[in-house]
Amino acid sequence: MAARLPAEILRIHISETDRLHGKPLYEAIVARCRELQIAGATVFRGLEGFGEQAELHKHPIVVTVVDTAENIARLIPELAGMIDTGMMARSTVRMVRVRKSA
Amino acid sequence: MLTKGPARKVTIFINEDAPHQLTPLHDAVMTFLMRKGISGATATKAFSGFGSHQVLHTPAVEALAQHLPVRIEFIDTAEKVDDVLPTLYEMVSDGLIEVQDTTVVKHARKGSKPDPAVAHQRRDAHAKLLRVFIGEADRWHDEPLYEAIVQRLRMMDIAGATVYRGILGYGAKGHEHKQSFFHVSRDLPVMISVVDTPEKIGVAAEAIETMLEDGLIVISDAEVVRLVRSHSQENADGGKTAR
Repeated sequence: MAARLPAEILRIHISETDRLHGKPLYEAIVARCRELQIAGATVFRGLEGFGEQAELHKHPIVVTVVDTAENIARLIPELAGMIDTGMMARSTVRMVRVRKSA
Repeated sequence: MLTKGPARKVTIFINEDAPHQLTPLHDAVMTFLMRKGISGATATKAFSGFGSHQVLHTPAVEALAQHLPVRIEFIDTAEKVDDVLPTLYEMVSDGLIEVQDTTVVKHARKGSKPDPAVAHQRRDAHAKLLRVFIGEADRWHDEPLYEAIVQRLRMMDIAGATVYRGILGYGAKGHEHKQSFFHVSRDLPVMISVVDTPEKIGVAAEAIETMLEDGLIVISDAEVVRLVRSHSQENADGGKTAR
């Protein structure tokens, strides 16, 4: 089965050292996405980067989320409250979901 | 210049000692093809054979007389082949010329200058960005799926693909991908990102879709600012064709 849908991709740029309630922020973000029943989230670790204040991020992290525009809109305010310093970028995508084994 | 795709293959059967003016015919044919800029030709001497004269030529009989069959093969575009065929028709007075449609799967030149005709001509172009989300442990015919996808994309002459390994994630399968210190086999999330023209991304997406068991493909618009060909030597020619 392959469903073709318009969707949005949200990329959240944070640091690996960012923490929320004692655990890594990216783990908290993924957990929140699951609670909100977002279709999926993937965390990537970068090698190096820099942010708005030109401070060097030794351990940049990008969390990538793909879901419908409504779900992304629902997710953004939730994450905004969790992130102290960071950046979120959303763009529209065409999504092909493949699921043969289910 | 020969590129991947439809082409014509010409096979010429002649005799080793067939003359053309004062030189052996096979030499004359090969020289002619090279002068005409045919992308490549091979002449092979046969072990044995017979032709329309119904005489079997074998090494035992013909070695001294140099009367064994010679086969010349070359592959080029239909236009090139049409260009050289009339002359070949005149040259081969005793033998056979055969033409067939063929498909060039790969035509690689090592260490030569890249042909501008097949250069990636993308300056500030509208392009598509394709992302494929799969698991590191997903397999395709006993090899890692992400490797198989990259290989397939290479075969399709896609400009480039990058495989990223995530450190955490969940998705289509619902289970969490997480790196564990104690697990030898791991199934971390993997993302492949590809940028190319809308047409090529469309073809690539279809090909990848057939290879996925579970997974997600997303396509978005992208503006390509600059694409440099991956060969290092065109930096030398000032990047004229590279931008």
